[in-house]
Amino acid sequence: MNPDDRRQRFEAVAPTVIDAVRRFLARRTDPATADDVLQETLLVCWRRFDDAATGEVLPWAYGVARLCLANAERSRRRQGRLLARIRQLDPPRSVSPAPGLPDDDLAAALASLRADDAELLRLWAWEELALSQIAVVLGISANAVSIRLHRAKRRLRDELRKGEASAGHEESTEGSRP
Amino acid sequence: MTDDDDLRTRLHRADPAADVPPTAPDRVSRLLEKTMTTTTAAPRRTTALRPTRLITLAAAAVVLIAALGTWFVLRPDNTPGAPVAAPTVTEITAPGIAAKCAEPTADRLTEAADLAFAGTVTTIDGRIVTLEVTNVFRGAPTDVVRVAQTGDISETMMGSGKFEVGRDYLVASSEGSMLTCGYSGEASSPGLAGLYDTAF
Repeated sequence: MNPDDRRQRFEAVAPTVIDAVRRFLARRTDPATADDVLQETLLVCWRRFDDAATGEVLPWAYGVARLCLANAERSRRRQGRLLARIRQLDPPRSVSPAPGLPDDDLAAALASLRADDAELLRLWAWEELALSQIAVVLGISANAVSIRLHRAKRRLRDELRKGEASAGHEESTEGSRP
Repeated sequence: MTDDDDLRTRLHRADPAADVPPTAPDRVSRLLEKTMTTTTAAPRRTTALRPTRLITLAAAAVVLIAALGTWFVLRPDNTPGAPVAAPTVTEITAPGIAAKCAEPTADRLTEAADLAFAGTVTTIDGRIVTLEVTNVFRGAPTDVVRVAQTGDISETMMGSGKFEVGRDYLVASSEGSMLTCGYSGEASSPGLAGLYDTAF
């Protein structure tokens, strides 16, 4: 790719990518981390923009953001452990607090799922990606996405049912539909 | 599928990013500028001349030597058609001229120079100075320029008077011979940037 073309193409897609990645991060981490990771994600996207030339930019950018966020959380955990060791304190309770959801039952159900399952559901419902796009984000086959997403949905429904049964209140997905 | 739709709707309604406002255009441009300058360290002509960038560039030069190959592929170049695979090298000589210098003018520079570029000195090996080119104002696009110092040019180079590793220079040459006498020198030397701006 000609360097000027490359720059122009990047500048053309950047506003969309920035918006989308900001939302992606707002759903998964605290605002300060989100800011850092957004900048880092853009840097990586720009550096590796040629990788995105063949396919859709957005799922690819989500994939980059996901790895950058994982990196940020890893280094923060490392810092936390180090601090804890130095001060002989407990490590910080919450490493990177995910934003609270307005729907408590749903939040509890999501939190009880395995991280992979929860991430699949988020990509599906929040980023509103198709199976093939989720596959790009996670670096797995669309087929695997299809199977795992199906399972994740079932598990989420099970958790929601469990939560409702134990709380003993009436609210159901059916009743809360607009 | 209705079960799926219900689940998706319920999740969707709980989306914590639902009220994230669209990114303000000035934030987009700030982010973009930061992104592109941080990664490439190949500033455009005016930014190359800002003294505040010199330190950054000097540090970047060290990294650039290590990452030369990658950098050549990825940097945004102002010169379309510049080769991306192997760095192109241009060689010029810097003769020591004892003659007195007339006051440099942009017209004379425009007229005489067949190569003019901004670059950072990466290595000095004996009398051979290697510059990493950040911008070519005139002449064939090139990535690296080697200047063979055949004489003592300290009298006629602007700025500190000599090439130093890590510093930025504006260099012009004519028929393979470096133009001194106020036409080449440290990028931050007074007047030199303005001269280049007017000339090219």
